Amino acid sequence: MEDTVLNPTSSPQSSNRRAVRFDDAQIIIGLEVHVQLDTDSKLFCGCSTRFGEAANSQTCVVCTGMPGALPVINQRALELSIRAGLSLNCQIARSTKWDRKNYFYPDLPKGYQISQFDQPICGPGHLDIETSDATGQARRIRIERAHLEEDAGKSIHDESSRRQDSKIDLNRTGTPLLEIVTQPDIRTAAEAKAFLSELKLILNYIDVSDCNMQQGNLRCDANVNLHIPLGDEQIATPIVEIKNLNSFRAVERSITHEAQRQFEAWQEHGLTIADAPKQTRGWNDHTQTTTLQREKEDSADYRYFPDPDLIAVKIEESQIQEIESQLEQLPADLRKLLAEQYNLKSADASVIVSQGRGVVDYFLKVADGCEDSKIANNWIGQEVLRQLNESNQTIEQYPVSPQQFTDLLKLVIAGTLDQTRGKEVLNAMVADCISPEEAVQQLGIKPVDNNELVSLCEKLIDENQDVVEQIQSGNGKAIGMLIGKARKINPNANPGLVKAMLSKMISA
Amino acid sequence: MTLSALNADVIVDQLNAGEVTATDCVQHFLDRIQIHNAELNAFIRVSESALEQAEAIDQRRKSGESLGSLAGLPIAIKDGICVSGQPTTAGSKMLENFSPPYDATIVERLKSADAIIIGKTNMDEFAMGSSTENSFFGPTNNPWATNRVPGGSSGGSAACVAARLAPVAIGSDTGGSIRQPASFCGITGLKPTYGRVSRYGLIAFASSLDQIGPMTRTAKESALLMSVIAGFDPRDSTSSKEQVSDFLTGLETPLAGLRIGVCRDHLNEGLDVEVKTKINDAISVFKQLGANIEEIELPQTKSAIAAYYIIAPCEASSNLARYDGVRYTFRAQANDLEEMYRNTRGQGFGDEVKQRIMLGTYALSSGYYEAYYLKASKVRRMIKQDYDEAFKKVDLILGPTTPTPAFKLGQHTQDPLAMYLADIYTVSANLAGIPAISVPVEPSSTGLPIGLQLQGRAFEENTLLRAAHQFQNETLWHTASPSEPWRTQS
Amino acid sequence: MSETPEQPTVNQVARLARIHLDDQQLTSSGEKLEQILEFVSQLEQVELPKDVEPFFGAIESVNAIREDNLQTSVPREKILDNAPESDGEFYLVPPVFRNTDS
Ligand SMILES: [Mg+2]
Ligand SMILES: [Zn+2]
Repeated sequence: MEDTVLNPTSSPQSSNRRAVRFDDAQIIIGLEVHVQLDTDSKLFCGCSTRFGEAANSQTCVVCTGMPGALPVINQRALELSIRAGLSLNCQIARSTKWDRKNYFYPDLPKGYQISQFDQPICGPGHLDIETSDATGQARRIRIERAHLEEDAGKSIHDESSRRQDSKIDLNRTGTPLLEIVTQPDIRTAAEAKAFLSELKLILNYIDVSDCNMQQGNLRCDANVNLHIPLGDEQIATPIVEIKNLNSFRAVERSITHEAQRQFEAWQEHGLTIADAPKQTRGWNDHTQTTTLQREKEDSADYRYFPDPDLIAVKIEESQIQEIESQLEQLPADLRKLLAEQYNLKSADASVIVSQGRGVVDYFLKVADGCEDSKIANNWIGQEVLRQLNESNQTIEQYPVSPQQFTDLLKLVIAGTLDQTRGKEVLNAMVADCISPEEAVQQLGIKPVDNNELVSLCEKLIDENQDVVEQIQSGNGKAIGMLIGKARKINPNANPGLVKAMLSKMISA
Repeated sequence: MTLSALNADVIVDQLNAGEVTATDCVQHFLDRIQIHNAELNAFIRVSESALEQAEAIDQRRKSGESLGSLAGLPIAIKDGICVSGQPTTAGSKMLENFSPPYDATIVERLKSADAIIIGKTNMDEFAMGSSTENSFFGPTNNPWATNRVPGGSSGGSAACVAARLAPVAIGSDTGGSIRQPASFCGITGLKPTYGRVSRYGLIAFASSLDQIGPMTRTAKESALLMSVIAGFDPRDSTSSKEQVSDFLTGLETPLAGLRIGVCRDHLNEGLDVEVKTKINDAISVFKQLGANIEEIELPQTKSAIAAYYIIAPCEASSNLARYDGVRYTFRAQANDLEEMYRNTRGQGFGDEVKQRIMLGTYALSSGYYEAYYLKASKVRRMIKQDYDEAFKKVDLILGPTTPTPAFKLGQHTQDPLAMYLADIYTVSANLAGIPAISVPVEPSSTGLPIGLQLQGRAFEENTLLRAAHQFQNETLWHTASPSEPWRTQS
Repeated sequence: MSETPEQPTVNQVARLARIHLDDQQLTSSGEKLEQILEFVSQLEQVELPKDVEPFFGAIESVNAIREDNLQTSVPREKILDNAPESDGEFYLVPPVFRNTDS
């Protein structure tokens, strides 16, 4: 669909516009994120919120909007909203009410969505995100509000034939959503992604939502426009709301694409925010472009009014305090803890924390147990995460307990196991669900006594005179070949000790 | 005495005493419906299983089981209230074949009291009207004069009780829809306090105003039904946890010292002369009964109709958005979705319903919310405050239920405003959420019933019922019944 | 509020409400709307105290809240039973978009 050119401006200005470079433009981004709250039952009825069940098998008279049926609010959805709000530094409303947003759509059974218009449960707040730019400074993204609302159902359109009937599944109808709206504080596509990642992580940590994007538990719309310096002026391009963003990658790419598109459109016809109303564009993953969405002339007239079927909800200070007291540490707190108390590099701390609460707990137990947080980080950050990734397991499913892992690392730290042997032991522990002691035994690992080591080294020197000569003539690295051979003969030989002994013998 | 001449409490006593069986009782009323409904059109549908249920109750009684408080009593239900597995239409083509998979809470309660739902009564489509002429199933006729309307929207329930086609009935009242037809048909009708009776299962017209209530011959019968249907319902967020007392006790407590307020403004302009006379006579009766009559003022109630005709249509426009052809029954022919919506709603709704949806849609649309809905809701607050003030001085407020007796069929169908004014005395109680009852006074010279309205403090239905009961004991106007065959002219 | 809706406005309202009205119905609906709006315009005259809170109805009472407990859903065939068109699994509706565009 073509963009309508409302008011093409004349050419002298257009040559000025041509002189501006894209890099001079500032991208202004605000996000609206819908997050599914992790309740058992729906927002206003007792139907299950489980994903993937047979179509229309999780509905009742309330969530299908049967004549006469009435909604009753789910306590847990309120609690989770408050918890999310507190974690995003939001003011929690002391009184909140329900409004109807009226529009017609076949997957909206009542012809209106119960939402919150002027008294959202969560007021202004903020979320700090780490940025990868040169300054390394955290950026504060202000939250405008977060409100509770019910989800709509699912419409399935036959793509192959537009004549065919659409199918409607109302299982998802009435699922509780928290809609989180940011101020337009985000400046790059990468920041938008960073914001969403951090938001997702937080909501995971506090058990508010699993934010599973494949299941649509986190959906994002982005409001994007450009501020472009033109002479002494600052030009703002018309705001575009991008819909259908179902992955972080889509968020990032669509913003990048849209910024470029807006810049080119502006260069072309010079329309500013004052010339054109907000537009809705959909992101198309196949074409990697945004396209103008059909708009009904009345689609914006939602005729909000207070829902007369529901009464206001009063939230007591004591209730807020109780929820606050139960809040666990947030990802940012844990990153700080790992960096400051456990001396991890901030990038390493971020890796651990980004894996979720379970991995952090695992790390803390192991680091405390073996009293060496660096080693704990090296082993968990590399070996454990790799293994989990390969086996597609969560840390809770990992067969090695923190205690066993601690025991393993103690052997490594004591030098009883070198790195390589240690990894072999770990692999055995994972494969056979056994303790480090059992693995050591299974692999036949036992300490090599000094005499044995001496005779091994003597044997190596005898049999590899050519290598010895290389070493003597200054090629220190060649000693590695001897160490390798030593391990072949006796896998239990500690490479460090072998190296030391060989060096001593050769230089003597 | 034949069963249809007996009051419900007497019928229940006789059933309990084994003097009559539930089967005979139900059969008696089914026979009367069979004979008279063609002329009155009070019922949209008679329950097919009523006799079966009656037999089951007789069986249970015989085997010595303990039964509910209304065991075997036939009751008629307005067709805007859901009864599981029975078509429930709200008087609309839109729901012509709608069969709800659930019972309204009050139906559940009536069933567990072992009452027998004998049929579903006619009504103005989606309860929008004051004459029951806006029904897809045709108008109901007033048994006192069949060329006149029974009032509305619960006209079928009022007519069937007046004509003794059922001992008692249930109606719903959004702006007078129980009291105004009760007045037109010479019966007793109670609109309870908002939140007193669960709305779960009542097909919504205007959610903040709708309330279900009894329509009976006597105040005592209303008390009997209220004892079953009133009380908190966790499925209705607007239902009240206020304690429910037994509505039957205290009916006889003398009225001595009861303070009754009269608003002179409501007894002047626009009021039919005969109505005015009969209401003044009723005031004298209450004086004789020992009540003190005091003048009160309700200055903002003059804006009530205007506020009501904003608030109710706004809520209705949203409540009726669900009738879109997707999930329930009627769907019009169409090529695409938008056409399906417009055709379905264009053909499925009657004119008055469409008109009110249009009005509500307009009043809520962008830029008008504050001038209409918000302003009307503020006026509503003022009306409520008027009542709060008045009830500091008096216990009840007395006045006419309607400005005139029943009007003729077709008389107001072309003039919405004239029709709306039939609710002039009743809408304020809905706006304020307070309870109100209509009881018959002396009929007009042409033999048409006239109703007296008593309004009370929130959750003080007891006082209303007590005053109404003793007025009825004193006057016996409520015992008058229309003659059979029904008069066709008046 | 005293301004009454013109014909095109009636048309717009009918579209917003998804109600098809033919020309004659539009005219008569417009007239009635005008008449009622004229009548309710008396609300303009009501003087309100500055701080008056709107009364949206419902008894001012405690929170009405339910626990997050599962309840058995209604069997699908019972839910779909009232639908004008379904395939036993889904509600069916005509295509959202007209067939005319690409
Ligand atoms: Mg939303
Ligand atoms: Zn449900």
